Formats: sequence, C-alpha cells, structure tokens
Amino acid sequence: MKRRTVLVTSLVVLAVVVAFSVFLGTRQPVTDATDITSPLLGQPAPNFSGTELDGAHWSLRNDLGHVVVVNFWASWCGPCVVEAPNLSTFAWQERHANVDVIGVVFNDTLSAAQGFAAHYGSLYPSILDPGGAIANRYGVVSPPTTFVINAKGRVVVTLVGPVRLSQLNAVLGRVRQ
Amino acid sequence: MTVLRSFGLWVAALVVVFGVALLVSANQSSAASRAAHLESLVKCPSCEDLSVAQSNATTAVAVRHEIVADVAAGKSDNQILTSIENAYGTSILLSPPTSGLGVLLWIVPLGVVLALIVVGLRLRRRWR
Amino acid sequence: MTLTWLGRSFLYVAFAGALGGVAFQLRALRTKRPSFAIPFAVLALLGIAGAVGVMQYALITHDFALAYVAENNATFTPLLYSITGMWSALEGSLLLWSLLLAAITLGVLFYYRREKTDAVVGWAAVVLFGVGAFFSGLMMFPADPFLHNPAHVLQGQGPNALLQDNPLVAAHPPLLYLGFVGFTVPFAFAIAMLITGRVHERWPLEQRRWTVLAWGALSVGIILGAWWSYQVLGWGGFWGWDPVENAALLPWLTATAYIHSVIVQDRRGLFRVWNLSLAISTFALTVLGTFFTRSGVLESVHSFSSSTLGPLLIGLFFFTVALGVGLLAWRGDALRSAVGVDQPFSREGLFVANNILFVGFAVVVLLGTVFPLLYEAVNGTQVTVGTPYFATIAAPLSVALLALMALAPLVSWRSASREVLWNRIRLVAWASLAVVALLATLGVRHLAVLVAVFFAAAAAGSALRTLWGVLVAARRRGRLLGALRAPTTGGMVVHLGIVVLAIGIVVSTSYTQRSEVTLASGQSTVVDSQFVTFKGFHVVKDPLETATQLAVEVDGHSLFPAVTTFNGRATTVGTPAIDSNLLRDVYVTFDAVGGNGTTSGAQVQNNLPAGSVVLGVTVEPLLAWLWIGGLMVGLGAGVSFLRRRHVEEPT
Repeated sequence: MKRRTVLVTSLVVLAVVVAFSVFLGTRQPVTDATDITSPLLGQPAPNFSGTELDGAHWSLRNDLGHVVVVNFWASWCGPCVVEAPNLSTFAWQERHANVDVIGVVFNDTLSAAQGFAAHYGSLYPSILDPGGAIANRYGVVSPPTTFVINAKGRVVVTLVGPVRLSQLNAVLGRVRQ
Repeated sequence: MTVLRSFGLWVAALVVVFGVALLVSANQSSAASRAAHLESLVKCPSCEDLSVAQSNATTAVAVRHEIVADVAAGKSDNQILTSIENAYGTSILLSPPTSGLGVLLWIVPLGVVLALIVVGLRLRRRWR
Repeated sequence: MTLTWLGRSFLYVAFAGALGGVAFQLRALRTKRPSFAIPFAVLALLGIAGAVGVMQYALITHDFALAYVAENNATFTPLLYSITGMWSALEGSLLLWSLLLAAITLGVLFYYRREKTDAVVGWAAVVLFGVGAFFSGLMMFPADPFLHNPAHVLQGQGPNALLQDNPLVAAHPPLLYLGFVGFTVPFAFAIAMLITGRVHERWPLEQRRWTVLAWGALSVGIILGAWWSYQVLGWGGFWGWDPVENAALLPWLTATAYIHSVIVQDRRGLFRVWNLSLAISTFALTVLGTFFTRSGVLESVHSFSSSTLGPLLIGLFFFTVALGVGLLAWRGDALRSAVGVDQPFSREGLFVANNILFVGFAVVVLLGTVFPLLYEAVNGTQVTVGTPYFATIAAPLSVALLALMALAPLVSWRSASREVLWNRIRLVAWASLAVVALLATLGVRHLAVLVAVFFAAAAAGSALRTLWGVLVAARRRGRLLGALRAPTTGGMVVHLGIVVLAIGIVVSTSYTQRSEVTLASGQSTVVDSQFVTFKGFHVVKDPLETATQLAVEVDGHSLFPAVTTFNGRATTVGTPAIDSNLLRDVYVTFDAVGGNGTTSGAQVQNNLPAGSVVLGVTVEPLLAWLWIGGLMVGLGAGVSFLRRRHVEEPT
C-alpha cells in the first residue's frame, strides 16, 4: 500500500471516528420532562371519560372553561414515582384557580393503581383506561406523559418524562397568556 | 459424464425445484396476512422494541384492533400507517423513513455489496 | 461504614496495582530490564478479589449499609440471586468485569513469564494494565459500588424483578464478560506488535486456542442471553435488535471474522493488516457496547445507566480507535506481505469475502443502532430502527454466509479448480436440493424458508463431509481419538451448530402462531393443534414473591404461567410458562383475568365473567433448535481449543 494512500485513509477514518465519538459523547440521557411536538398540539383535545379509582365518574366535557392537566401514569413506572408529589403539590396549589389535574392509568391494573395513589398520597383523581383506548387517542407511548389543555379545549403542551413543579408553573404561565 | 454436463444437470434441477416453489408460493394477500404484515411494522407504544404483532400489552392490542378495523374498511397500507403515525409520531413505525437521512440506511448495505464486487474484480485482475 | 471503607481500600489496591504495573512495565521497556510486572498483576488481582469479596459478603449477609446492596438485595433474596446481585446493576457489573480482566492479565503474564524481556509481551502488559486501571478507576470515582447508604434501612429493594426469576442470570453475564475481556488479549498484543514493529511474528497464531475459547464464551454468552430473554420477557421472542443486544453482537461479528482470518495468516501469512485491525476493532466495539449499555443514551430494556460514565467510555473508545489507526498508519509499510491472494476463486478468496461480509454486517448494525440519535440531532424528530430493517439486512447476509460455509471447506487453497470442487460438492449439492424438494412437497411454501434451508443443508453437508474425511484418515492411522484434535474438527462442529441455529431461527420466525384464548376454569380448547386446558388458580405467597399462578395443561404437560409481584420492588411481571420439545415450543402467558378487579396484579377485562382467564398461547416450531445449536457451537469451540498444534505446511 502506498504511503500516501495509507495516510489519507487513516486521516479519513480518524475524522469519522472523532465526529462519531464527539456526537455520542454529547448525547444526554433523558432525565427531565421534555416538551415535545406531539401531533396533537393545537388540536382540540380528544374527549374522554372514565371511572375514577374510587368509583366516581369523570368526564373531560365537565371541565370546559378550565385548564386541564392530563397525566398518563402507571404504578410500574419509575419516573412516575418521581413526579407524583410534584403533581399533587401543583394540583393542591391550583385547586381554586380553575386548573384541574386528572390522571389516567396507563396499561396497569386497578389494584396496583389504587396502591400507588394511596402510597404516594395523590391529591387529584385518576381514571382507568380499560383497553388503552384513551392512551391510543392521545398517542401515548410511555408514561409519564402529560398533556396540558387550555380553557378553550385545545392541547397546548405535551411533556414526556417526569415533570417538575417549576415546569408545570412555567407551562401554566404560557397557557394563561 | 463430464463435469460440465453433471453440473448443468444439477443447475437444471435447481431451477425446476425453485421455479415450482416460486409459482406455488402464490400471493397470499388476504386481509389477515395484510393486517399481520402491517402489525409487524408498527411498534407497540408502551414497549421498547416489540411490534404490536409481538406484544400483548393493552396498548398493542388497541393498535391491533385499529389496524384490523382499518383493513376491513378498505384503507390502503399507506393510509393506515400514516394515520397511526399521525397519532403517535414518527417513532411508532419500526422501519425508518426511506427519504432524507434514512437513505443512509440503505446506501451503506449496498456499499458493502459493492465492496465485495469491487474486491473480487480487483483480485481477478491481479490474477490475470 | 466499615464495609464501605474496606471495599474502597481494596479498590485502591487494585487501582494501584494496575497503575503501578503500567509505570513499572514502561520503565522496564525503556531500560530494557527484565520486567517485574507479575507482582503488580497479583496485587491488582488481590485488590479486586478483595473488593468482590466485600461486595459478596455484603450481599449474602444482606448488609444494607451499602447503597448498592439496599438497591439490589433484600433479606428474603435467595442465595443465588444475592450472589448474582453483584452484576445486576451498573457499579457491581464493573466489579465482575475488572475481576475477569485482572485474572486474565495475571494469566497472560504468567504464561509468558519466560519471555519477560520480550518487548512485545512488555507492551501487551502495559495495555492490559492500562485497561485494568481504567475500569478500576471508573469504580473509584463515577461508579462507586461501595457508596455508603446514609438511611438506616431494615429492608432492601431486592434485585430488578426480571433479574431474579431465572437462574440464567448466573450464566449469561459472566460468560459474556469472559468473552469481552478475553478479547482484550489479542487487542493488547496487536498494539504491542504495532508499537514494536514486529508485525510478522506468530503471537496471534500462538494465542489462537485462547482466542477461540474467548470467542466460544462470547457466543454461548449471547445465546444464553437470548434464551434468558425468551424465558422471561413474555413475548415469546428471543432477539429484539435492541441497542444493548446489538452492542454485544457487534464485537462478536468482528471477533468471528478475526478467528477465521487468522486461519489464513497461519497458512499463508496473509491478512496481517486485517487481523490487527479486527483485533483492535473487536476491543473498540466492546468498549462502545459498554458505552451503549451504561450511558443511558439509547433506551433499552437491558440498559442500566449513569450520565457521567458516558463521556468517559466514549473517550476510551475514541482513544482506542485513534491509537489503532495511528499505529497502523505508521507501520503500514512493514505490514505488506510478500505474497497475496492468488485468485478470487480459492479458499483465501472466500475468506476475503467472509471478512467483508462480517465487517459489513457490523457496520450496518452499528449504523442502525445509532441512527435514531443521528436523526434526532439533524431533524429534531424521533424515529425507530427496528426488527423489519435489521431482518431485511440480516436475511440475505446470513444466506451469503451459509453459502460460504458450504463452499469454503471444500475449496482448495491458492487456486481452486472448478472440476475438483464440483466433484467434492456434488453429493452435498444434490442432497440439499433433495431436502428442499421434499419440504416443498410436504407443504412448505415460504420461499425464504426454502432458500435458507437449501444453503443451511449445503453448509451442513460440507461440514459433515469434512468431518467424515477426518474420521476416515484417523481410522487409517489407527488413532480414532486423533480425529478430535484434527485442525478442522472443532470448526466443523461449530458450523453444524450454526446450521442448526439458523434453521431454528428461520423456521420459528416464519411459522410462529400467536393466539389468545379465553377459558373458564376446567375448560379446554385446541389452539394450533395443541390441546390446552385451564385447570384453576394457585396463589403462591412466600417471602420472596406473591404470584398468582394458573394451572394449565398443554398436551398432557403441566404449566404454570403466572403474574408475579416481587416483594420489595412492588413491580409486577408476567412469568411465562413454556412446554418445549424438539418439534415445537408452546409459550403460555397469563394475559388477563375476567371480572371487575382482583388483587392478582393481572390485567382485568370486565367484559369477561369472573374466574375466566385470557391465555396467550404462542406455538413456535423448532425453537429448541436454537439452544441445541448454541450448545453445539460451544462444544465446537471447546473441541477447537484442544486442537493439535498446527505444523506450518510449506506454501
């Protein structure tokens, strides 16, 4: 092999490997809720209703004029544990401000969901989603996924991952403008 | 029998066997197999890398119902996949898009085949 | 507090040993004195063994003073899963890796103890110590297994649910790591040969039997991983083209190319550059694989992650590749061999094709694995590269490799004559065609299956023919056992194992039938010609777990698919049950229970009467052939290890 071909090939390979390594080295693992551009943004929120964990009935239609935060969660989901207290704090904080938080149980069983809600002291209602129909309509891929619906009934924000209280407050600020 | 004739006989038999097999494996595009094929292309929404064909999670079952209903309603493959993509985002399809950056995924394997051919030819030239 | 202090001290000793080994060896190389590196290797091994001992002690005695033990162990965790808990999560898995590396480093130095002054051995030792220092260093700073647990807890979480319901957790990681760590040795020697410029020497050839052992461990490790996922994950499949699975496959591909390519170097002195590159690539891909598994950058069922390890591991990857490329460029001239591949239609030519296919496959799998990251960086949206893509690539490639397996053992070295080849392969060719014709008449219609079986049969035929030749020759010499140690025996057994594996994969993926049946207690049904009866519920409650089992009978055999909740972790997992025989596997899962709500943890379907259940029944023909093939591959690697020393034949 000619000396020059070897040198050129080596430099090209080296450049590719540098680019590759830098690229991979700068990827961040997902740690916080990411604001994603879901296909539902700006669309009217799909209507849904269901049975709450304690047996009462809940329907989205009853919440017209309110901001609704819909949070898809599951008892087997680690990040859901992390965000549970944040959502409860937020729900309590905004309880007189026409903001409703509703949880939707994602791919889970009644007993496990009840256990989770009791254990983590959930301060907002959650409904069951038998057959995953609601999750399907909202295009939920994995919990926790949170949708924020404005007072006019349109989806304005989609957050994937565990939400922090500051994020929720910031989002609320944007929604109210 | 000369080597060439012996080989030729075998090749003829090969062509016959596979030719018949090809003809007999007729197009089975029944509704069930269409649905099954589509199901293998859509990722189960709550799983890491399974298709809705492979998983029995509630979300997978929900999507399967949707696909079967759409196939029965007469929608085309493309329409069905697009509507699912619209609900869940592009990452729900297990096969990446073939346009744009996705072209890379097909060029590289072709490059490998090309490398094989090129090296083979160069070796042959050296031999000659 | 003492355990933390003790464990960390041992780690410091291990790190000091490795670092000291590097320093001392470098000095010995510079001053050309006989090296005293063995004591450093012993120190490093003692240090890491001590750390492992402390961790195992903590796990077995359920000492929750260590945060790692609190997260991966509980008082009711059985002994087996306490021991394997060491590699159930990130920090502990590094302990296992380092232990194997330290042991192998000492082994290599001891093996070459009479060649203390040899610069190649010296530089190889520097590399081995260096890698050891890196991994020990990781455990000292970002990934500390001995972190003290500030909370005084009386109970731990127990291991991840999926890591404590199958004993294969004791086999898969150790074998896999043994393979990975084993390939650090060819890497070290490749670097050493390049640095010293002594690239024409026989080090890789001499080490071949150990390299084959490492390859065997890696292969069996990967197959056991597939078997484990199959038994535990609940979807009836065994490979998902998941980023972490791909991460283990990549070095295996280059490692397989390497052990084949070395055959040509042994026989004819060719492929030196290829072999050095393959040795370096295998190690680099191992590090890259470790990066994917541990950095959290790609989501996977199998990954454990920490965000600080990512940049460090990718740094090592970059350093390895840069070093390799740089050295190869520097020594490029010296690597040119006097002879070349005479003509493409020869065994050497087929090995060239083999190298290109394996490396090409590795490149494509790597691209497919990182593509989602690339796409997101460029376009902002997420895409998935899943089974359809990888299967489309893997299928023709596997067929090509099977074809090579069919031809290569029968094609002569240097320049093959078509007549001679046809004479050798004629019977095999006709037999393979007959098999296909038979299958087609029996109703097999999938063209892909017929093509795959054709080439698989041909590959098996060539392997059997070669083995027959070896047996005949051994018999003539009157020493039948000599056949075992003949040069090609092990390899042909491995090829046969691969054929069995390939047929298992093709048939099971093409003919799997999935169904869901709803049965009331006592009811039976027939699913895909399997007679299934649901006999009732069992509840199992012990300190480890609470499981609702279903008593199911399939074709007369009792199975207990269940939904299990492991105490401590509060996660519920499905536990599949499998009835396996040579012809088919019946895979049964407890999918849902009827009624309005139970405490079993299973999914509820309120449109079904209470007491009835929904069973997932998947029938997979020939699935057991995968594990049988895997066993044969391992056996073949073992036989190859015993191979007689090859006497170099005059070319």
